[in-house]
Order: sequence, then structure tokens, then C-alpha cells
Amino acid sequence: MSERHVIKHKRYSAAQNAQLLVQLIILVVAVIFAIFPVIWVVSASLNPSQSMVTQSVIPPLPETRTVFAEGAGTLLRIASPAGRRVERSAELILLVEIDGVEKELRSPKNGYVRNIRLEVGESFAADEALYDISSSYLINFDILLSTPRRPFLRWLFNSLAVASITAVLVVLISAFSAYSFSRFRFSGRRHLLVLILLVQVFPNLLAMVAIFLMLQQIGNHIPFFGLNTNGGLILVYVGGGMGINIWLMKGFFDSVPRDIDESALVDGANHWQTYWLLIFPLVRPVLVVVGILSFVGSYNEFVLARILLRDKDSWTLMVGLWSYVSASFALDWGVFAAGAIIGALPCLVIYLGLQDQIVGGLTQGAVKG
Amino acid sequence: MHALAARRAAARPPGCNETMTEPPQAHKTKRGPRAAASLFRLGATYLGLIIVDAFALYLIYAFASDGIWELAITIGVITLMVNIINLRADLYALRWIAPALSLMILLVVFPIAYTVYVSFTNYGDGNLLTKTQVLKLLGPQTYLPEGGKVYRWNLYQNASGEFALWLTDEDAGGAYYFATLHNFEPVTTVAAGADLPGEYQGYRQLSRGESLKAVNAAQAMAFGGESFKIGIAGRREAGEFAKRYQFLSEQDAVLDNKSGALFRANYATGQFENDEGGTLFTGFISAIGLENYQSFIDRDDIRGPLARIFAWTIAFSLASVFTTFALGLFFALLLQNKRIPFKRAFRTLLIIPWPIPGLISVAIWRGMLNSNLGVVSNIIRSFGLEPPPFFIDAGWAKLAIILVNLWLGYPYFMLVCSGALAAIPRDMYEAAEVDGANWWQKFRDLTLPMLLVAVGPLLIASFTYNFNNFIIIEAFNQGGPPMVEAGTVPAGHTDILISYAFRLAFGGGRGSDFGLASAITIIIFLMVAGVTLAQYRLTKGWEETSENV
Amino acid sequence: MNLSRIYLLMAVLLLLLGVFAVSAQDEGLTVWGSESSTPILEELALQFEEEFGISVTVHEVAFLDIRDQFKTAGPAGEGPDILIGAHDWLGDLAVNGLLAEINLADVEEDFLPSARAAFVYEGVQYGLPVAAENVAFIRNTDLVPENPADWEEVRAISEQLIADGDASYGWIIQDSDPYHSFSVLTAHGGYVFGLTDAGYDPGDVGMDSDGAIAGASYIESYVSDGLMPTGVDYDVMHTLFETGEAAMIITGPWAIPRIEESGVNFTVDGLPAGPGGSAKPFLGVVGFMVSAFSENKILAETFLLDFIASEEAMASLYSADPRPPAHIAVRESLDDEIMAGFVAAGAEGLAMPAIPEMASVWAAWANAITLVRTGELGAEEAFSTAGEQIRALIAGDA
Repeated sequence: MSERHVIKHKRYSAAQNAQLLVQLIILVVAVIFAIFPVIWVVSASLNPSQSMVTQSVIPPLPETRTVFAEGAGTLLRIASPAGRRVERSAELILLVEIDGVEKELRSPKNGYVRNIRLEVGESFAADEALYDISSSYLINFDILLSTPRRPFLRWLFNSLAVASITAVLVVLISAFSAYSFSRFRFSGRRHLLVLILLVQVFPNLLAMVAIFLMLQQIGNHIPFFGLNTNGGLILVYVGGGMGINIWLMKGFFDSVPRDIDESALVDGANHWQTYWLLIFPLVRPVLVVVGILSFVGSYNEFVLARILLRDKDSWTLMVGLWSYVSASFALDWGVFAAGAIIGALPCLVIYLGLQDQIVGGLTQGAVKG
Repeated sequence: MHALAARRAAARPPGCNETMTEPPQAHKTKRGPRAAASLFRLGATYLGLIIVDAFALYLIYAFASDGIWELAITIGVITLMVNIINLRADLYALRWIAPALSLMILLVVFPIAYTVYVSFTNYGDGNLLTKTQVLKLLGPQTYLPEGGKVYRWNLYQNASGEFALWLTDEDAGGAYYFATLHNFEPVTTVAAGADLPGEYQGYRQLSRGESLKAVNAAQAMAFGGESFKIGIAGRREAGEFAKRYQFLSEQDAVLDNKSGALFRANYATGQFENDEGGTLFTGFISAIGLENYQSFIDRDDIRGPLARIFAWTIAFSLASVFTTFALGLFFALLLQNKRIPFKRAFRTLLIIPWPIPGLISVAIWRGMLNSNLGVVSNIIRSFGLEPPPFFIDAGWAKLAIILVNLWLGYPYFMLVCSGALAAIPRDMYEAAEVDGANWWQKFRDLTLPMLLVAVGPLLIASFTYNFNNFIIIEAFNQGGPPMVEAGTVPAGHTDILISYAFRLAFGGGRGSDFGLASAITIIIFLMVAGVTLAQYRLTKGWEETSENV
Repeated sequence: MNLSRIYLLMAVLLLLLGVFAVSAQDEGLTVWGSESSTPILEELALQFEEEFGISVTVHEVAFLDIRDQFKTAGPAGEGPDILIGAHDWLGDLAVNGLLAEINLADVEEDFLPSARAAFVYEGVQYGLPVAAENVAFIRNTDLVPENPADWEEVRAISEQLIADGDASYGWIIQDSDPYHSFSVLTAHGGYVFGLTDAGYDPGDVGMDSDGAIAGASYIESYVSDGLMPTGVDYDVMHTLFETGEAAMIITGPWAIPRIEESGVNFTVDGLPAGPGGSAKPFLGVVGFMVSAFSENKILAETFLLDFIASEEAMASLYSADPRPPAHIAVRESLDDEIMAGFVAAGAEGLAMPAIPEMASVWAAWANAITLVRTGELGAEEAFSTAGEQIRALIAGDA
């Protein structure tokens, strides 16, 4: 055995091992605490039941059952809402005639109609089997993605577009300011910094009315930034997210040694070249963090978006998802859960994929103030 | 030294008092290309400025002619600022800041100013419109003067596009009249009750669709010539309607032509009032001074709840910061142990709550904590215990909110703390170990102080964030359960100031009271700004030292 | 690249946006529909456009958001021409001058007088009614075969069911919902405002009347005797009923689809009477209103009266969102036991008061109910407080 090997297999005392065990148990409990709600929402999304409170953590197995007629009659027509193919429809309408009265029979929303036992024009007796319906784990996702009145993919696209454009603009514009605050000394600098910090903590919830009126007026002359447009929403997000990011970035810029740009300036580079070619690459960690935070912040924002966007086609994801749970008497938890999972994915991927960079950027910024 | 200083001044725009160390070596100036470049830069600056200015002037003109003075002035201030900054060489440093500054003035400072203004007004239900808007609503209102006649109308149009009305007097057995823009006469060629002719005197009858499209234009016209002035008043009705209201600007009053009553503008109440104390159908927004702020003290149904809400807001923010930080730090410390297997997997799983949108998480927790059917309650019940009333009892509701917020917030501090812990030099621990410190002493005397220096500002930022953490309260239980003494201005035990203000502004109680809600917002702002400023003062000296390293 | 050129770039970008983004000024009508009415309104809008050549844009706004959003958007000129809403918003909207009068003269005979009257505020007609809905008594027919005659019987059945272990609960009701519990109060003789020939009398507050307190005490007794759980909201109430754990609830026509889907055998009946006489649920009338800021008022009126008010359009509105129709012909053509149950329950219904103060009445009342349901206050104390609060509010307003 070489010495190296011995070091690798350093022996631990029983107390240390017990301590490790305790720590592991704590971590496992913590992980359960952390992901239990997530597991629960995943199971809700796979559960065809429409109510949030009835579901169990393990969704019931898909099952097929037969739907019977409640009275004798004739099948007049089979229709599927929103022009979907009949055999795949999550909801089917049978137009029937019972006792001389035309009636619409709607299939339950939580399953696929599989096997229609009747031809159009055929008569049926009371208690005769009409069709089979089978539930499916993915039905909530299917409903989510295929309801034309709730253009989920459009919302997702809007959210991603608004959030990414906001993030890029916030990073670029606040990096300019941060560079200036970090590298130049001008009169009023300190006051301006404090002022930016202070106006930033104003709770803008109540300023909603002002923002609404302003966007409306701006929209009369520059429709691109008007109410009900994603452009206007971006404008509001960018303007609102500036201050704190300038501070975060300035802290990081300060940590870049000034010798670097000074020697460049002395060598004849102008400030733009110094900034763009030297400093900008060096502060990349904080740019990434600010970008991510702005992205996630505007992706998740919904109070302003709900007021400023009226057209369903211009809604962001959060406004759309909220419409599933805020509907007064028509809660649709399963579909909401499916939407929530897809909606949480972009941020989840970004955070989990870039967690090291986030940690680096956050703490360095934090250390430097 | 002098020569160097001069050269440095040339290398960089004037006005920037950079604190620089001496450059390590001298450099050569390249005069020719630089002059051309600066000329170009100057050209670009002017061209850019001219375009921006032209655009801004157009907007200012447009807003001013719409009567939106506050916005016109705001844009004007921004334009002026951008121009000064770009034209004066000594403000070069500000050129980098101007874009951010312009956006902030428009989207942060202007709304703040607006909120401050609203907090001094009676803006709210009953006084929702500006005086101009009220007058605009009064404008088109008409009435039928005594002896006035009402007809049913059909729209006709001649080749040159002029409109005419075919009128049916239903009270007089369906007698027909024809009114052009200049003339009004009974129709003699078509018997009463007969079908309307497709053409009459060169005018063609418009179809339903055509007349609907034209109705807005035709409604603005008076038919029948000077002595008749027949106008379209409704979907079917036309007649000699007269303007109901008239604004007399020299008396600042509205005259009701129908009753002859004069309604004077009363700015104390924001109403148009006549001598008998009667008012017009709605009031207008008017400045009422400090009344909203006084009601914090004067009104029992606000003072009591407000004090409790304030206390809870502080408690909630402190508890949230403390719990999230403590748990985050705890996990970060656990993950420091090098022997933990699958460390990265653990960390990844533990930060999962962070990226999930708050709205979604809170909705999930709301369902899980439901005392009858929620999954948490079911688990508690399976141990033979009665699940706590998370939504009913004030204490439990508060606990639930802090718990949910803990779930939402600890990953952030976990990440921050692991970063900051890694930055603490290892040799300091080794030194402490040599001194015989146990883990608690190391934590208390070394880890925590070092950590707090790094994370302190974030703790305060987290405090101010939670102070205004509207989404969690609103999405979890809308501030419930209700307070007994809140009375007509609704307030709940878990309401924090911002959710209380939101409820005042956007529903519940007596409906909207933007004035009072804005006043509360201003108070919140003052407090949060105070905390922020205090934090800034605390860390300021420390920033100076770090900068000069 | 340098800073100046960034400025130039931004200026050009701004210019391009300003020049190329041409305002698409819509000529037609704008309608705000709710979640349930928007799909059918979109269809109707297409029909209207085909017939009259006027385009109608329908925006979906969550029903509970319509009023607040309209109050922000309307004065700013961003509101709709027509909005769907509940009649009890009238006071609030009219006192702010946000609604335009509409003249129902041509169609008034087609609609239920009570539904039409609900949309009258201070003598002015502000809306075209679509549906007049109310809650009814719904029971699980497997657990409760006969409709209980009065509330004493409801209690006896509840006790029996729990004692026999047939169900976890008998009758249950939400924690903090004045709307659903109003019929319990009226059956015990309670009222909100005294009713005179001229409508509700805000001077006569009945929240702390003996009847109202008796009704509240009735609910309280379920809580104190352990016959009813706390933490019941709308969803919980329905889930308990739909899983057979509770046998009787009070709910409205909007909930029928989900109960049917659950497969529970149920029936809809009139509400049980009490010592104060028959139970009177609140009538809520849903209808269309025209914005005072609309620049197309005549178009809007035409759309509503010549098109929406027709029997065909009203019938399609009904089938898209089945609630007792306000249109008499559509109402009479219904052949539906469930709807008949709701109509019967609403026979003696009272229109919800629409005075602007109603918002705070609801708030005070909901608090009182919640406090009773959670056992924090006794019925008498809670409802006396609510009565005083409402009286103070109305006095302060006069």
C-alpha cells in the first residue's frame, strides 16, 4: 500500500461517523421538505381529478369505464369542441334526441372517449352503453396544450420573450451605469447612488395606476410601448429593475483592480474600449447573475402584467396560469398543475444549470456591497 | 510629474477626477486618427441627440395637446437632462448613466410623484374621475325640452355623402318626415305606415349595416336646418334634444338646463353642489390636504388595525429574514462537510424551491395546508392528531405564512452562505483550532462575524423585500382571517402594510380608496427608505476602504 | 463602437418603433366577457359581424376582476363598450359615473320584471339581464331520500347521519360566505336591509335583528356540537359533498357540472323553511352594461337590444353557461329538473342590494360569519358588531 492510499482511506472515529449519519439524515429530511410540494404538484398534474383537495400523492392508475345512456333515444350528431379529432378528444358532445327533445350529452372532461358504440342515426335503449372513457396520466397536459381559448404555448413564448429581452436590456443599461459609478469620480456621484437606491425601494404596487395611465398615453403615440403590449411590459420591467442591479454590479466592478483600466487608458485606449474590451469580460459573473435575476423576476411577475395586459394573446405565463386558479367557481387544479410544471421549467433549468455562477456572482457582489 | 498629469488629462475627458496611481510607463499620442474619431463621435452625438430631441418634442407636443401635462413635463425634464449631459464635456461620466437615469425617471420617479400627489387627494370611489373627465361625460348628455318631439329614425345618404333622416312620428299615427341637413318637411308622397322608399329626393336608404357604420358620424350632426336641429339620440330615437349640461367656467359651475339648477364645484368635497346640497351624479378628484394622513390617527377603524398590521409586518419581515437565513446557513454548513456523499445532488435538490415562481408555490402550499383535505393535514391526522386550523386561527395562519416563506426563501441564503463560507480563509480556522476552540466557538467568533460582514447587506435587503412581500400574502389567504375590530375597512390578521394598502385601493371595504392607500404607501416608503439609508450609512465607510484597496 | 454610437443606435431604434408601429385603431365594439361567457360571446360576435358588418372584439377578463379593471381602464379610455357583470356592482359603478343608461323599452316584455328591475339604480336602467341565479338546497339522494321541510329537520338528519356513520357530516356550509348563508338567516327571520315599496331602506339594518342572530346561532350550534368542520371553503364544501362525506349543501347552478361529474346522486330543491318563514336566497342577476366612456353607445345598444336580446342569442348564452335565464321565452322552454329546482328555490328570492355601501356590508358580514364559524365570537356578539359597523358606515356616509 502506498502512502497516498493510506491518506485516502483515513480512518474516522465512531463519533465522526455518527455525526455524518446524523447530518445525512437531516439532509434527507430537508430534501423531503424541499421537494415534497414539487412532487405533490407533479402528481396533481398527472391526476385526472379536477379538484386539488381530493388528489392523493400517487395518482390513480388510468382506468377505462363505460358510460351508459340515461334514457332511450337516438344519436343525432357527434361533435368535439374546438374542432379536435373525435377519437382523441378530451371532451365530446353527443347530440341526442330523448323523448323527442334534443339534448347535448357532454363527456366527462377527465378522460378520452375511446370507443363510441353507436353510429350516427342509431337508436339506443335506456342503460345501453354509449361509449368508453379512459383516463390518462397526460390528460391535463393535453388539455393545457390544446385549448385554443387558453393559448398556453403563446403565453410561454411571451414570457420567455419578455423575460429575455428585459434581462438583456437591464444588463446592458445597468452595466453602463455601474461602470461609471465605479470608475469615475464626479460631483453628486454619492448622492445619485443613494437616490437610486432609495427610489428603488418604493413599493410600486400602488403606482400601478400611474403606470397604467402612462403606458396608455405613450401607447397613443408609440403603440409599440402601449397598454396591452409586451413592449410596454418590457419598458416597465426594465425601468423598474434598474436601481438594485446598478448597485449589485457596481460592487462587483469595484472588485476589479483599477490598474487594469488605468494602464489601458494610459496606453491610449478610450473609455469605451477599456469598458468593452477589458472590464466587460472581467465582470461576466455578475452580468450573468443580474441577467438571471432579471429574467426570473420578470418571468414571475404577475401583478403588473395582469393589469397592463388585457388580450389573451399578449398575456404572460403567470397571468395565464393565474386565470386557471382565480376563476371564481371553476377551479381546474390538474391543468393548473400541468401548466405550473411547464412554467417552472425554464427557471429551474437556468438555476440548476448555472448554480455555480449564481453563487459566485451573488457572493462576490454581496461581499463588495 | 506635470507632464504626466497633462498627458493623462488628454487621455481622458475632462471633469473626471479619477484617483489613479501613476501610470507605469509613458505612452505615445496618436493625434491624426484620434481627431478624426472624435469628430465622428461628435457627429454621432449630435445626430443622435437631434433625433432624440425631435422625437421627444413630438411626444411633448402630443401629450401637452392631449392635456397630459405631467407626462409632457416628465419627458421634457428627461430630454433636457439627456441634452445637457451629452453637450457638456465635463459631464462625461453621466453619459454612461443617462439611459438608466431616463428610464428610472419615467418609470420609477414619475409613478412615485404621482402616488405622493394621490395621497393628498380624495381619489377613490365616488371621486374616481378628474374634473375634466366629469365635464366630458356631461357634454353629450341631452334632454327633451318641453314640447319636444321624438321620432324613430332611418338614415339616408345622397351621392355626395350627405346624410338625411327619415323620421317616423309614432305618436301621430306613424306620420313621415324627411330631414336633410338644411331642411325639414313632412313626407306627402308616401302614406303613413307604408314601406320606406329606397330612394327619396336623391337620397338612398342605407342598409342596417351601413347605417350602423355611419351612425357615429351622423350622431354629431343636426338635421332639419336652423329652426329644427333634430339629432340622433339613441338606437331608434331622434328629435329636438337639447344639451342638458353647460359648464360656466367663470363661475366654475355646471348649469343643468333641464332644471335650471346651478351646481358649483366644491373642492373640499370634490363634488358639484347646488344650493340645496344636491350633487351631480358623480364627484371629481380634488386635493384634500392631509386628510388621508390624519385618518391614521383620527379614525378608530383604521388606527387600531393599522397598529397591529404594522407590528405584524415588522414581525413577519424579521421572522422571515431570521428563519430563511438560519436554515440556509444551517444547510450551507452541513454541505461544507467534505464527507457528505452526493453533495452536489443534495444542493441541487435543496435549491429547487427557489426557481419555482412564487405564485405557483404559494398556491400549492395553500392546497397542501387546507385543514380538511390538504395533504399536510391528512398526514397530521394519520398520526391521530387534529390538524391545526391554518386558515382560521390568526396564530396558526401567521405560522403557516412564515413556514411557506421559509420554504420559498432559504435556498437563496443557502447559496449566498455557501459562497461566503468558501471565501473565509481556511488558515483562520486552523489558527482557531490551534487555540483549542470548539466548533461552537469557531462558529460564534469566526464564521458568523465573517459571514455577517458579507451577508449583512443582503439580510437588510431581504428585510425590505419581505416588508413588501405582497404576493405571498395575497396568494396564500388574502390577509385572512379577518380582524374583529377592523370593521368597514377590511383588514386581516396576516395582512402586511402593502397588502392592506392594496385592498384599500383595489376593492373591498367601501370600494377603492386610492388616496388612503397611497398615503399608507408613502408611510411604508419612508420606513423602508429609512432602513435602507441606515444600512447604507453603516456600510459606507467600509465601501470606501474596499475601494481604495 | 463607442458610447455616442450607442446613443445614435438607441435614437434610431426609437424612431423606427415610432414610425413603423402604426396604431391599429379598431372601429368596432369591444366587449369584456367573463371566463364562462367569452367563448359563446365570441361566436355571437362573429354572427353579428356577418349580419351587420360591425366587428366586435371580445376580451376575456376574470369575472371577479372585471369591476376593478373597468374602474381603472374605463376613465382612461381603455375600457370596453360593453361589459358583463353582476347587478350588485351597479351602485359602485354608477356612483362613479362609469355606466351609460340603456333603453330597454323595445325588449322589456321579453324579460323577467325582477331581473330587469335589478339593473335599475336610482331610477335609471343600466343593464340588460341575462340570467337571474340563486342558490338552492342540494342533497345526496342516497343519504337523504326526502327533502327536509325545515332547518330543524336538517339538523336532525345531520345528527342521525353522523351517529349512524353513514356520512362524516350532514349539512355543511362555507366558513365565510354571507351569500350562501343568507337563506339560513332569512328562514330564521333575519334580513340585511328592511324592504319598503321603494326598495331597500338603508336606514333599517337587519344584521343584528333577532332573526339574523337566530340564524347565525343555528349555524353556531353545528360548530359547537361538532357537526360541521371548520376550514371549509367552496372547493372543500364541494369535495366533501361529491365524495359522499357530506350529505347536504347550499350551492348555485354554476356548481352543477362538477357535481354531475362526480357521479353522486343528487337533487336540487327549494331551501328549507325555518321559524321565520320560508327561506329567501339572494337573487344575483348577471347582465350586460354599457360604459359611459363608450364612443359607440348607439352601436353598443344595437348589439345588445337587436342581437343579444333575441331568443336565439339568449338561448345560446344559456346553453353555454346554464343558469336560470332572464329571458322569459328561454326560461319557459327549459325542460330540466335541476334548473327547475333552482327556479323554485328562487321563487321568493330577494335581489342583492346594489347600494355602493354593499361592498362594506359584505365585508362586515363575512367577518361576522367567519368569527362565528371559527368559534371566535358568539353569534349574538358577532352579528351585533356587524350591525353596528354597517350602521356607522351608512350614517357616516349620509
